[in-house]
Amino acid sequence: MKKPRIGIFKFTSCDGCQLTILNMEDEIIDIIELFDIAYFREATDKPLRGQFDISIVEGSISTDWQKEEIVDIRENSRHLITIGACATSGGLQALRNWASLSSYKKYVYPTPDIINALSTSTPISDHVYVDYELWGCPINKHALSETLVSFLIGKRPGIPKYSLCMECKRHGIPCVLVSAGEPCLGPITKTGCGALCTSFGRPCYGCFGPKDDANIESLLRHFQNIGLTQKDCMSLLDKMNSYAYRKVRIEGIK
Amino acid sequence: MHIGRCELKALSKIIKVDYLSRVEGEGGLVIEIKDDRTVRLRVNIFEAPRFFESFLRGRPYFDVMDFTARICGICPVAYQMSSVHAIEKIFNIEVEKPIKELRRLLYCGEWIESHALHIYLLNGPDFYNIESAWSSKEYLTIAKKGLYFKKLGNEILTILGGRSVHPISIRVGGFYKMPDKKSLSALLPELKKAYEESLKEIKWVAGLQFNDNSWDTEYVSLIHDNEYPMNYGNVASNKGLNMPMEKFIENVQEYQVNYSTALHSGLKRDSYVSPYVVGPLSRLNLNYEKLPAEIQNMIKEAGISLPITNTHMSIIARSVELAYAFYEAIRIINEYNEYDRSFIDSELKEGEAVWITEAPRGILIHRYELDNSGYVKNCTIIPPTSQNFAHIEADIYRFVQNNIDKPEDFIKKESEKIIRSYDPCISCSVHVVKTRNC
Repeated sequence: MKKPRIGIFKFTSCDGCQLTILNMEDEIIDIIELFDIAYFREATDKPLRGQFDISIVEGSISTDWQKEEIVDIRENSRHLITIGACATSGGLQALRNWASLSSYKKYVYPTPDIINALSTSTPISDHVYVDYELWGCPINKHALSETLVSFLIGKRPGIPKYSLCMECKRHGIPCVLVSAGEPCLGPITKTGCGALCTSFGRPCYGCFGPKDDANIESLLRHFQNIGLTQKDCMSLLDKMNSYAYRKVRIEGIK
Repeated sequence: MHIGRCELKALSKIIKVDYLSRVEGEGGLVIEIKDDRTVRLRVNIFEAPRFFESFLRGRPYFDVMDFTARICGICPVAYQMSSVHAIEKIFNIEVEKPIKELRRLLYCGEWIESHALHIYLLNGPDFYNIESAWSSKEYLTIAKKGLYFKKLGNEILTILGGRSVHPISIRVGGFYKMPDKKSLSALLPELKKAYEESLKEIKWVAGLQFNDNSWDTEYVSLIHDNEYPMNYGNVASNKGLNMPMEKFIENVQEYQVNYSTALHSGLKRDSYVSPYVVGPLSRLNLNYEKLPAEIQNMIKEAGISLPITNTHMSIIARSVELAYAFYEAIRIINEYNEYDRSFIDSELKEGEAVWITEAPRGILIHRYELDNSGYVKNCTIIPPTSQNFAHIEADIYRFVQNNIDKPEDFIKKESEKIIRSYDPCISCSVHVVKTRNC
């Protein structure tokens, strides 16, 4: 069997999810055996050529040329997988979507006019068809290897989409929301981290984005009952997955 | 003799690298040579800006560590360290010794994973003229050593911080949770083995082939009375600079160039701004005496003479620091006793503070201004890579001048290697600073 060709692409991001690939120290040698890593700028000089069986895309779309490039990548890929909060929901930099770009530019650059950037940072799925999304800031490396293995044997990846609360119960972690009265995003957030923050006694801050049919309004009402202001509530949602939480919330209000 | 335009064109050549590989982030390089002189040299950075300083404004102080970590997936701890110490300074608290030690251990984990990644996977292949760490069978055995080191660094980060990319345990006043002695001690046998291995590796890097490019330049790093610097100290250089952190930021001049989304910076001199270099080489040159005797001996044994004045040899400094980070991690774990108080309380205070810590790639400068409810009013972040850009260009310029008659392909490849030897982190560098007028 010919090895599937993989291309790894980066848009606007911190590289943390690409690094997750390099952090699969135990598996990376096997990955190289099983796949032909044909394009991966961060790790190899191989030039961009030909078509890919799988393209793994990190980062959000935040400039004009990226809009063009993602279409090219899609056209040359049999399957396209997005990895990480930037690629699946615009990332932390999507906070600019609710602000004025010119004021952002002015604050950072002495000569803001020469900086090319869109006024929004959006997920890949807003631009092209995406076959599979791996959420998380950063993604979980086990989810990535599950996805790659699933591709090889032709099954759907078994990655859960239920809320973090399930994970907490399974780990026997006392509820941070109910017993400690902390503003935890667990009930509306996808599992995937292994209940990290709650096991450290801190409330979940939403790295893995909204779970399917999350009831955001109801949780925010509870937050207001425990003394948070509307502004506090918004700043809880407005982190690495703000674009996705806001979208789900608007759809929920309908 | 009058030369027509067409003839002039024939005398000039342009060497281009569209997209640098084996570096973190997105950049390119253009060198234009005319009449045997380099007339234009640019490290283009086209990484898209993310405007971190802009959206940090108006956020509560406790978000800062989670937000700034997202500037860089390779060195999130550095961002958390610079920001948490700056905020603690505003609140006027100093964490207790066990917390200081554990934060140093967290940094050891990051130095290990970041240095191992760079030495073995990004920079190493340059010395074997191969395109990646896995493109030759011979090199793969070397790369596997790197993966082994890197994994241990990541394990330290995971125990202390929950995960290696964007750890979640750092908070103002300490940690959200203290690690238990048992899980840290379980790492010791492997860490000791890795330390012995990494000591031997210093000889390997010292034996690599380097282009000669020594020059009299300015190395800047933190210095500290009793330790190899990470979270504390003064900023110093080999040219007599020695000042507290908050003073240093006033000496840095940042400026924008029109071909880069990363600002450049230099040190303010009387009438000009002079480039300087930060990172492992600067740290080693300025803090060699603080290294344990056995590492110093290994440096001598490997035939390395200090200070190293050839910036292309920074892989040597990185390898020395890799061994040191293992040594230090073992010491801290051995001395760590279970400690219950994971953090000390603090009161909100209005104010401003600067803090600088040693990220794997060099000094990372943060300045925050908080209002009386603990929200960010203004902030400044100067990553190590932005500080190095002007120096990288000066370095390539010298190299090209000295090798102007060499084939284009040689100049192109070697210039790329120079950039790589700095271990640039381009995602970091595209967050720029705001001068104080807002």
